[in-house]
Amino acid sequence: MRIRRFAAAAATVAAGALVLSGCAAPQSEIVEGSSLSVAWNQPFYSYNGNTSFGNATANNNITYATLGGFNYYNDVPELVKDTSFGTYELVSEDPLVVKYTIADGVKWSDGTAVDAADLLLQWAALSRALDTPDFDASEFTDPDTGEFTDDFPTDVVYFDSGADPSVGLGLVSTTPEVSDDKKSITMTYDEPFVDWELQLTSPLPAHVVAKNALGIEDNQEAKDAIYDAIENDDAEALAAISSFWNSGFNFTEMPDNTDLVLASGPYMITDFVADQYVTLTANPEYTGDNLPKVEEITVRFITDPLAAVQALQNGEVQLISPQATADVAEALAALDVTVIGGYEGTYEHIDLQFDQSKSGHFNNPLIREAFMKVIPRQEIVDKLIKPLQEDAEVRNSQVFLPGAEGYDESVAENGSEAYAEVDIEGAKALLAEAGVTNPEVCMLFSSTNPRRANEFLLIQQSAAQAGFNVTDCSSPDWGGLLGTPGAYDASLFGWQSTSLGVTNGPPPTYTTGGINNLNFYSNPEMDELTAALGKEFDPDAQIEIMKQIDKILWDDFYGVTIFQFPAVTAYDQNAITNISPSTLAPTIFWNIWDWEPVSADAE
Amino acid sequence: MATFVVRRLIASIFIFIAATYLMYILVALSGDPLEDLRTSSAPNKQQLIEARTALLNLDVPPPLRYFIWLGGIFGLTGKGFGYLGVTVQNQPVNVLLGQAMGSTLQLVTLATVVAIILGIVVGITTALRQYSGYDYGVTFLSFLFFSLPIFWVAVLLKQYLAIGFNDFLRDPAIPWWLIVILALISGVIWMSIIPRKGIQRLYTFLIAAVATAALLVYMELTDWFSNPHIGIVGIVLSAAGVAFGVTAISTGLRQRRALRASIIVAAIGIAMYYPFMLFISYYLTFWTWVGLGVLAVAVSFAIGWFTGGADKAPVARTAAITGFLVAALISLDRFMSVWNAYANSSRIKGRPIATIGSSTPGLEGSLWVMGVDFFTHLLLPTIALILISFASYTRYSRASLLEVMNQDYIRTARAKGLTERTVVVRHAFRNALIPIATIVAFDIGGIVGGAVITERVFGWTGMGALFQNGLDHVDPNPVMAFFLVVGGLAILFNLIADLVYAGLDPRIRVS
Repeated sequence: MRIRRFAAAAATVAAGALVLSGCAAPQSEIVEGSSLSVAWNQPFYSYNGNTSFGNATANNNITYATLGGFNYYNDVPELVKDTSFGTYELVSEDPLVVKYTIADGVKWSDGTAVDAADLLLQWAALSRALDTPDFDASEFTDPDTGEFTDDFPTDVVYFDSGADPSVGLGLVSTTPEVSDDKKSITMTYDEPFVDWELQLTSPLPAHVVAKNALGIEDNQEAKDAIYDAIENDDAEALAAISSFWNSGFNFTEMPDNTDLVLASGPYMITDFVADQYVTLTANPEYTGDNLPKVEEITVRFITDPLAAVQALQNGEVQLISPQATADVAEALAALDVTVIGGYEGTYEHIDLQFDQSKSGHFNNPLIREAFMKVIPRQEIVDKLIKPLQEDAEVRNSQVFLPGAEGYDESVAENGSEAYAEVDIEGAKALLAEAGVTNPEVCMLFSSTNPRRANEFLLIQQSAAQAGFNVTDCSSPDWGGLLGTPGAYDASLFGWQSTSLGVTNGPPPTYTTGGINNLNFYSNPEMDELTAALGKEFDPDAQIEIMKQIDKILWDDFYGVTIFQFPAVTAYDQNAITNISPSTLAPTIFWNIWDWEPVSADAE
Repeated sequence: MATFVVRRLIASIFIFIAATYLMYILVALSGDPLEDLRTSSAPNKQQLIEARTALLNLDVPPPLRYFIWLGGIFGLTGKGFGYLGVTVQNQPVNVLLGQAMGSTLQLVTLATVVAIILGIVVGITTALRQYSGYDYGVTFLSFLFFSLPIFWVAVLLKQYLAIGFNDFLRDPAIPWWLIVILALISGVIWMSIIPRKGIQRLYTFLIAAVATAALLVYMELTDWFSNPHIGIVGIVLSAAGVAFGVTAISTGLRQRRALRASIIVAAIGIAMYYPFMLFISYYLTFWTWVGLGVLAVAVSFAIGWFTGGADKAPVARTAAITGFLVAALISLDRFMSVWNAYANSSRIKGRPIATIGSSTPGLEGSLWVMGVDFFTHLLLPTIALILISFASYTRYSRASLLEVMNQDYIRTARAKGLTERTVVVRHAFRNALIPIATIVAFDIGGIVGGAVITERVFGWTGMGALFQNGLDHVDPNPVMAFFLVVGGLAILFNLIADLVYAGLDPRIRVS
């Protein structure tokens, strides 16, 4: 009897020691067998979100959870580094040299190490530096099908990442150096590029690409083949690799070869039923900081917003982020769920044509200013956006995303408050000063978008009071008409922001002749500022330059911003917590590892 | 006949090609396929626009692009015959079409079959009880359903049949006043269906009301909704009911051999109840279950055949129908037996009726559990589809039977002393089915494409989603795949309808 008691005590101590030793290592606080469902409005279709056609939120939301990366955006939004995946450092600014290092112990879900081979392949794909020069894929693209023809040369390297040789990794034309321990690569940019932090996105498993493209069995051999091919610029091997990279990761249901869905992030895909759902299960090989708390998350594809609301009500999903409509807002208000209003990355704005406009009136700054004064921005938000989102506000900056660093300060000094209220008298005075009566303003917008049609009507009524004759230049093909000389006077549409990178926003839009400069805006001072912004590495200095840009735009009567697109997120607070949507992609999914199930008996 | 078919087919093909041309142009001109890229602030915007232009040949104007697409269909592009191109997401349309067809057929097949059977049965009975309360009631309801928009019906169904019923299941107690109301409603319904006069109507009313109330109280007391079952007593009673009912309609109760065969079949079914429930059913897969059903029908048929004496065929038919229905009842009870385990599983969490999708993600289980899962997902969309197509079937079959019942040959049949059953089933019903057969043919052609909204609302990604996503992205290839299938079926079944009509009605010749 005594011996038995002693044995019991010893066992208890041993068990305690085991538990304690277990605590020393980072441990997943997963709730065993827990599962959650979340609705998304579009089916997943490609595991490679870097191709020109695979880059969609439906894919990126999933790969965000399954593929580790060096950084991500949180809900502020600001860029957060994930040092448990790897680190990067700016070795020198000019020439721009960046060193990326994968953290120790980071593995793919098949146990293979994540290392420089994966980064090197990602560079080759996103830079297209090794692509066969001057090769025009369209010559060998079947005009009937859009696919490559059989006589597509087998030694042609073509990564379909849509890379541009003048921005991002396109500027890294020399092959990066791989360190001896195969853990890091060092990239040298041909010219400075300030958004270097955002360029090397989550890598795909290089050994899987090599195994499938080159018919290799062994994982290590496959990695070596990647090094060989890229470092020696072996066109034949790279041709096969690029072809597999372009199309091998596209599937519409769970692939038989589960290598194709290898994960390096907190979750991995374990099931994918065509057009129904993707099941993400906690990745047992994941050892990083973002340890998941829910064992299994199912992303169900529900296109119809109201269907998503009712699925939430019926407990089939616990978290939804449907398109924000008045119906959805009303339906959600009646339920016992938590609703979070928020913003999407797209913002609505009106640009005035500085030149080449239909009537030519807007070449005169007085008329531009007069028109900006009569645009009923607050009324548009009150009538069209508030029914969807009670706390919606007018966006007052051309450059900063609401909530991001710099927005509030810039709004305070950029002069946008002059257009907060409609000023009919002021506009009349300006028109009198300009010496025009009843100027015609033809507005270009999407004729298939009812909200824009309503905005147009509100603008038309308000502007008429000051004597503007606002006419309808809308078209279903409005996107193609943007920037067409002589087609319209003002345009009403939305710009999408996908990152806080400074090179995406001001330089292409406000520089004379920029790709997104569709209103023939030209100001030498602005050109200098956008050029300076493209060379400024210090984030604080970037914000200072952007504030100046914002102010000049308002001072030049560039046009007005109206509102940030509303987003709505709703969840069952009795089933899930720690939901905090972000404005930037991947919106609700950014902290998927923090989602926590609420136990049923807590009710 | 042959020349008629060939002539029709040739004309159809030309009409069809013209229609596809029109459709393609309309879709291609419905918007700007590059719209999302044009408003993007991505730095490689120009490259992305070029990539998509190359992928979908957007540099070729739509009227010419159509011929590129048509060339793909006829295999001129080296991709094989019937190549439908890729979507804007670079997915092969042929693969998507296959998946979409499978999903849609799953959704609409059952709904169509049930709607046809139910519609014809109700239509026939209303015609036989013309101008009764039942007739007026059904007329009112069918027009009501017909005029309801399906997206709205779907939302209501989800709210009350799914969310409401699931809430009810948490504590399945039926309040007494609801029992009284349901009993009264049931009494009124039965009173108007069963043709009686005077005081006898009151008896019908009372019997129906009391029976309904008793059933509800029994369900309430045995917690039936949490733990549904038919049970051996229920099986015995309903098998007996089936045996008599089927015989009465199929041959008439005076056909003693048929009645005897049906009762034997029902008795065998009852004898198989426990072995099936406790043993056999645990070893079944879907196909062995179907095989067992076929075996049950075959055995029943044989019993009828060998005990049928001079009337082998009708007796065997009666026995086979009885066998099928009894087997179905026992299977139903088996499905019910897993309901409680299903509803309380960790995947369902006590809310069994689903509002979206075709299956519960991650659920694994026996044939019976998966069957129940299929049922809970199919229930709402099927009801929604039935409600709207119900009206046309009831109205057509009612009108058709009424017309036939006024024919001279019906009067002749009555005059020579045939029973009412023989007159209705053998002389009137068969002839009334002729016009309905053509409508059914049309509908089968239309089912594949006819559920666009239903699919969207219930999260079934099938042909409707293919069509709608294509339109949203101004991407003609998936829309054309949808149109080819739906349009092709419409043309084919139109032709079949004409031929069926000619085949069934000897007064009509096609030439």
